[in-house]
Amino acid sequence: MDIKPSFTSPTSGRSIPVTPSPVGSTLIDIDHVDFFYGASQALHDINLKIEEKKVTAFIGPSGCGKSTLLRCLNRMNDLIDGTRVANGQIKIRGIDIYDPSVDVIELRKRVGMVFQKSNPFPKSIYENITYGLRLQGRSNKSDLDAVVEKSLRGAALWDEVKDRLHSSGLGLSGGQQQRLCIARAIAVEPEVILMDEPCSALDPIATVKVEELIQELRTKFTIVIVTHNMQQAARCSDKTAFFYMGKLIEFADTRAIFMNPANAQTEAYVSGRFG
Amino acid sequence: METPRPTSQSDFLVNKKRIRVLGLSLDDATKFFFGGNAVVSIIVLALITYFLFQEGIGFFGQNHRNLLTYRQAGLEYVDFIRTQESGHIALTRYLSDLRLRQYNYYVAEQKMSPAAANQALVKFDDFAAQYGDAVEPIRGMVSDLTEQATAIKTKFLIAEDKKTERQQLLVAGKINEAAAVKIESVDFAAELHILTGVLPVYKQTSAEFAKKLDASLAVAPRLTTPELMARLDRFNQLTHDYLATFPATTRSLETWDYTRPVPWYQAISAFLFGREWLTASFWQDWYGIVPLLMGSVMVSFVALVIAVPLGVGAAIYINQIASSREQRIIKPSIEFISAFPSVVLGFFGIAVLGQSLRWLSQQTWLAWVPGFPFSERLNILTAGCLLALIAVPTIFTLAEDALQNVPKAFKEASFALGATRLQTIIKIVVPASLSGIISAVLLGLGRVIGETMVVLLCAGNRIAIPDFTAGLAVVTQPVHTMTGIIAQEMGEVVRGSIHYRALFVVGIVLFFLSLGINFIAQKIVRKYRISIG
Repeated sequence: MDIKPSFTSPTSGRSIPVTPSPVGSTLIDIDHVDFFYGASQALHDINLKIEEKKVTAFIGPSGCGKSTLLRCLNRMNDLIDGTRVANGQIKIRGIDIYDPSVDVIELRKRVGMVFQKSNPFPKSIYENITYGLRLQGRSNKSDLDAVVEKSLRGAALWDEVKDRLHSSGLGLSGGQQQRLCIARAIAVEPEVILMDEPCSALDPIATVKVEELIQELRTKFTIVIVTHNMQQAARCSDKTAFFYMGKLIEFADTRAIFMNPANAQTEAYVSGRFG
Repeated sequence: METPRPTSQSDFLVNKKRIRVLGLSLDDATKFFFGGNAVVSIIVLALITYFLFQEGIGFFGQNHRNLLTYRQAGLEYVDFIRTQESGHIALTRYLSDLRLRQYNYYVAEQKMSPAAANQALVKFDDFAAQYGDAVEPIRGMVSDLTEQATAIKTKFLIAEDKKTERQQLLVAGKINEAAAVKIESVDFAAELHILTGVLPVYKQTSAEFAKKLDASLAVAPRLTTPELMARLDRFNQLTHDYLATFPATTRSLETWDYTRPVPWYQAISAFLFGREWLTASFWQDWYGIVPLLMGSVMVSFVALVIAVPLGVGAAIYINQIASSREQRIIKPSIEFISAFPSVVLGFFGIAVLGQSLRWLSQQTWLAWVPGFPFSERLNILTAGCLLALIAVPTIFTLAEDALQNVPKAFKEASFALGATRLQTIIKIVVPASLSGIISAVLLGLGRVIGETMVVLLCAGNRIAIPDFTAGLAVVTQPVHTMTGIIAQEMGEVVRGSIHYRALFVVGIVLFFLSLGINFIAQKIVRKYRISIG
């Protein structure tokens, strides 16, 4: 089954065809976004254009709003009571994802997510990967088998688990669990993968494996990664955005951010003087 | 303990103002106080268990004597013939049911007047009368024998009482008084001779009875519809089956021997599998737990059928869907239900629920519901509904805890993969908390099966095994329960009597049932607790 050509609700009728666009064209357009948790404002007037098939890193000290912005991109913040995007728009391929006609379920299929703490379901490896597909009503055995292999290969996990696909996902090591979560995310063939500090709970070797994986995935997916680790941002991203106190301080090519930051705060942060 | 003499340098470490209570330091006193509390509860638990067993265990010996007397006094002998008589009563009941059906058919379908319908049934009535009267000689015989057997039993029991009295006097050292107690010993062989002597007469009577029944079947009139004819045929068949049991009865009477010992295990099996709980009877007392156990099980089952969807559903709503405002209102409200004293729920059940359910059952538009209409206000359904109310807070609270323990990360991962709320609940949240939910249900069951006041007030208190042939309508029958019988009868029994001890054994069964349920619930929780990686 191909990706549905839109993420608007099939019942609402509004449907915009997806046309593949060249690498580097804008996929996600964050336009003057203010975001609130109840009465406290977490994001102030964020403007950011995320490009297709590139890795964009969000860096900044704790509490700067980078995770909040990431979770706005697939509307995971909807699950928290009292959150709202007060002003501005987030558009993916020109569609405002906070528009009432948008089908959130369809949006989340198109914008996948990998969490800080690996969270495989208490099910088998196979079941973990096919979960998203079964939600879509796909149950053809050979079809599912193919997707499982493809996704696990995509997440560089196939060789390690191919003999125990039906044992519990919770039996894997921390790094393997995180790659399983990535495999689970790419199984539903999203366009964008959001990664919320995917390596913060991993040891250095597992971290290297995930970083290598990100390098492979960038050819197929648009990746947005939140990280505390500046070397990681420098190693794996094309573009970097630096946030501070809910504001976007600087957004530029990664090389520029780390070698030649335009802003004094950015310079102080990337050189380790605060944060 | 020898402490090193403090030198001037280390002086600052020595506690100069140590508080001592009864020679104990504060730490030790604290330890003993809290430890003591724990010990007291364990001792009380052990005492209760010991007391239960100590009072209950004597039942089996007494029950054995009870069964032995039943045999020795010839009651068993008479009951063989009585069984034959009651078999006939069941058949005549079938016959009167058949008459009612035919009558209804005449009146409803053929539009006859009642008088005309009765006129048309004259032949049937003759047949029924002939069939019914055939038993009279047997019935007379049973009532004669009953009197004789009762007399033997009474004599025997008086002798036993006297023996006890003498024993007590001897123990008290009053030897003269003890010697004065006259014990009239019972010569069973001689006494029973009167009973067993009727065997030839019985054989003859029984043969005549069989002949009369056969003859009356021949004059059975034809009924008007095929359905009724089929029932009549069935009746013929039942009568033939009944007649076929006669030789077995005769054989039982012939081979009966009052000296045959009652095996010891029958004292236990008669209790565990006994289908009758009959006390203070002029004839023979039976202590069979089955009707009470079935009553408790049926009431609890109905309660769970109602309480599980309500409790688990509410827990899922509160935990997964409700806003925090709703949570603040709903959660305490449900937990508040358990604040009702069960006796209050009980009279609510009698005055409101039982009445309303009966009213509802008598509505014509609800006639399709199995068991409707019913006339017993207090029955399994009424008690089950109220017990459900008692189980809901337990199930709700524990199931909610179990759902709460599902890591939020599972839920988020599911949503991030494009699952709807319903899919997330069904495929992730509930399976991950299933062990907790099951144990919540089991603990709710434990709560319900031990509940007393509500079932005592609302279950109808009829000691009978529910008639399962009625299908779903079985829930509209009144029952008695294990808890109810203890509460009802314990106040009236003589301490140390067989009845008193029987109630204790019911208590022991209840205790083990609750213990088993709780044990399984904890086992499930421990075994299937998900490891959160």
